[in-house]
Amino acid sequence: MENTIKVIVFQLHNEQYGVNIQQVRSIEKLLNVTPVPGTADFIKGVINLRGDITPIIDLKDRLQIGKTEYTDHTRVLIINIESIQMGLIVDNATDVLDIEQSIIDAPPEVIGGVTEEYLSGVAKIDDRLLILLDLERILNFQELNEVEKAAAKQL
Amino acid sequence: MDTMEYIDMFLDESREHLQAVNDHLLVLEKNPSEVSLVNEIFRSAHTLKGMAATMQFEDIASLTHQMENVLDLIRNEKLSVTTEVIDITFEAVESLEKMVEDISRDGTGKKDVSHLVSRLEQIEKGSSPETNNPAQKQPPSSASFDISLDEYQGTVVNQAKEQGYQAIQLNISLKEDCVLKAARVFMVFEVLEEAGEVIKAVPSVEELEQEEFDRNFSVILLTEEKKEVVLEKILKVSEVEEVTTASFTPAKEESENSEKTSNESESENESAEQSQQRSSKTIRVNLERIDGLMNLFEEMVIDRGRLEDLSQKIGNKDLSETVEHLARISQDMQGMMLTMRMVPVEQVFNRFPRMVRGLAKDLNKEIELEIIGAETELDRTVVDEIGDPLVHLIRNSIDHGIETPEKRKEQGKTEAGTLTLRAYHSGNSVFIEIEDDGAGINREKVMDKAIANGLLTRDRAEQLTKDKIENLIFSSGFSTAETVSDISGRGVGLDVVRSKIESLGGQIAVESEPGRGSKFSIQLPLTLSILSVLLVKVADEIYGVPLSSIEETVLLNKEHIKYIQKNPVMDFRGKVIPVVSLAEILNTPGNEAADSSVKPVVVVKKGEKMAGLVVDSFIGQKEVVLKSLGSYLQDIFAISGATILGDGGVSLIIDPNALIK
Amino acid sequence: MARVLVTDDAAFMRMQLKNILTGLGHEVVGEAENGKVSVELYEELRPDLVTMDITMPEMNGVEAVKEIKKIDDKAKIIMCSAMGQQGMVVEAIQSGAKDFIVKPFTPERIAEAVGKLF
Repeated sequence: MENTIKVIVFQLHNEQYGVNIQQVRSIEKLLNVTPVPGTADFIKGVINLRGDITPIIDLKDRLQIGKTEYTDHTRVLIINIESIQMGLIVDNATDVLDIEQSIIDAPPEVIGGVTEEYLSGVAKIDDRLLILLDLERILNFQELNEVEKAAAKQL
Repeated sequence: MDTMEYIDMFLDESREHLQAVNDHLLVLEKNPSEVSLVNEIFRSAHTLKGMAATMQFEDIASLTHQMENVLDLIRNEKLSVTTEVIDITFEAVESLEKMVEDISRDGTGKKDVSHLVSRLEQIEKGSSPETNNPAQKQPPSSASFDISLDEYQGTVVNQAKEQGYQAIQLNISLKEDCVLKAARVFMVFEVLEEAGEVIKAVPSVEELEQEEFDRNFSVILLTEEKKEVVLEKILKVSEVEEVTTASFTPAKEESENSEKTSNESESENESAEQSQQRSSKTIRVNLERIDGLMNLFEEMVIDRGRLEDLSQKIGNKDLSETVEHLARISQDMQGMMLTMRMVPVEQVFNRFPRMVRGLAKDLNKEIELEIIGAETELDRTVVDEIGDPLVHLIRNSIDHGIETPEKRKEQGKTEAGTLTLRAYHSGNSVFIEIEDDGAGINREKVMDKAIANGLLTRDRAEQLTKDKIENLIFSSGFSTAETVSDISGRGVGLDVVRSKIESLGGQIAVESEPGRGSKFSIQLPLTLSILSVLLVKVADEIYGVPLSSIEETVLLNKEHIKYIQKNPVMDFRGKVIPVVSLAEILNTPGNEAADSSVKPVVVVKKGEKMAGLVVDSFIGQKEVVLKSLGSYLQDIFAISGATILGDGGVSLIIDPNALIK
Repeated sequence: MARVLVTDDAAFMRMQLKNILTGLGHEVVGEAENGKVSVELYEELRPDLVTMDITMPEMNGVEAVKEIKKIDDKAKIIMCSAMGQQGMVVEAIQSGAKDFIVKPFTPERIAEAVGKLF
């Protein structure tokens, strides 16, 4: 089974996206977010996740494909990368799938409005398309910190 | 009224006495014939009564008064200790605690205690008809103490007699409502020492100074003056109800009871030593003083930083060595200061034996409570806050964990369930565990409930480990009125417990074995970076402003805001300082409070410079645990960190220094 | 009947004391809101008796007792204390105060204290 990966499937607009389950700590309902001033727009603020102050970002906004309207289905994917914990707001977290590496294709230039740089591949399962995200790239911390500082200076 | 100034002391002492009553009652229940315990309880009730009367908390005073009457009968062996007496005293203590807690929350301390008072009255009257006559109750038990002298004192008395002095034994009773007894005793002693020399006092002078007596004490005075003169002088002191005298001839008694005498004085010495030890080992320090010390220390740390910079620039070897040494010492100092805030968790655990006893009785269960590691120390703030969550968890274990004796018997368990409360240190954490040998957590039920409440999907649920399922009971949105974690109809879920513990920087987890029991483990940090803040509301958010940088809070009339080159300023003690709207500068979302003509303003300072921060309202002062926003959100303008409030929400802590230019 | 100077920073307490003292047939000749004023008024009025609160701004009651005793070592001063001020009361007595009463005041207690001084 070493050729399969487990992914968590979630929705942004009407497209289905997946991230490697190993990077996901839990899925939470969206609760009280405390806004943090002077940060980039896509940073919605911080939440208390079992005692840890955890930043929350709107994934759509980060991928520049719009903003999330909060509904009952809105979920927060808590991810752990390089010892940093943060939450990604998604429309709906639906499934866990095993995907064979062999069905993963290289990403096209743009899909669902998301540019190639944030994608790690596309998998075709039956007749649906699953877009796999490159979380490390998306959360490029250096870049983000610069974004924040720029935002802070505007204040 | 100015009694409010003493409310903290009143509260502290009341709590201590109630705890003492509580402890003694529990022991008394097991040893009903121990009159000394009744004496202790009587004393506490009496002290409480006096304090409450002064503070004009009449319900507390009337209840303690009636308790005192019953206890008095018991200690005089006119009434014996029955379950009824114990039960009602427990109930009374519980009501007293509620009243005291009400007062601590700025309440009136009023409570209808008439039913308790009348039940106590019944016990009092039912037991001994002669006490129905109030006249008989009134006269003070002008108990005189048998005084015996040690060899040295005996010699002194004999020598004094040879020189024409006389030894008088004086038995002095203070009035029942005398409050500052030690000060009164001091006045009596002033009179006595003017008249001669006091060579012995029972209770001892130390005990009298500590008010460790009821209202009677006896002294032996060597004096040239006549008995009657001395008597008259003492009666001149206010609040002295009665003085009786007797000539004292020690020699005879001594020869008769020499053995007994020496024994007694030995044990007396022992107790004196003990009380001396007690007083020399600990002192009571107001938490504010320690916090004040911490604040000063923080300032010193800032200067230390400057010194370090300077010494690096100057590059003098001696200087840098000295600065390094200073840095090490201040590190140690910080450690010590943090330990000064540490108190044993016992203070919280103490209230559980009675609670467990009461709950077990209500639910017809048999429960043995085992407490381990009560001496474990924790930060005072944590100890103050951890009580409610623990109460919740203990109730949970008794209510839902431990089964009825019948059921336990069926399952081959002992009829009495065991509840273990354990505290211990490990690494940089303190662990508190609540373990029961009851039914354990029903995982199926938990899982169904979680799915029904939309916390997870069936697919996902099946992938969860046992541990994860059990810990679902802490999820917010898990508990509703009819769930397994509803606590005795209080309608509060375990998620509340969790957020409380998280707000203290801790974590909670549960392990359970169906049919064998459950164990709740709370992990708490040993020390906290604690910050005193003023919580303020701005639009929809709550922010914390560190008290250390607050100069004052004022209500500013809008008309008093002036503009210098379009920048708003205000006059503060004759100084013109900038006015900053927190909502604007922090871009706080939500609706601002209605535009009123008077705005709450927090005046913050940075050295000599000040600024006024306009907020919507002041919420209050609070000690919070400062947490970093993490590496993802670094260098946020005007924000130094965040804290988790009691309701689980996150509040940002303002860095006022960034707002003062 | 004694001429009394009442000292307390709370107007309410002064009023209460005044009512009780007047009711007992004494005359309140002056009221001071702190220890400093009390010392000044003592010099001016030379009352037969001073009631002295302990916790006050400017100059506390114990300091005031010491100052008044410097002016007149026969001055009769009754301390008005509250719970928990045992140490202060003892210091005041050592400094020359004649007696103390504890809040809340009762007319009986005040009558007793004043009665024992005259």
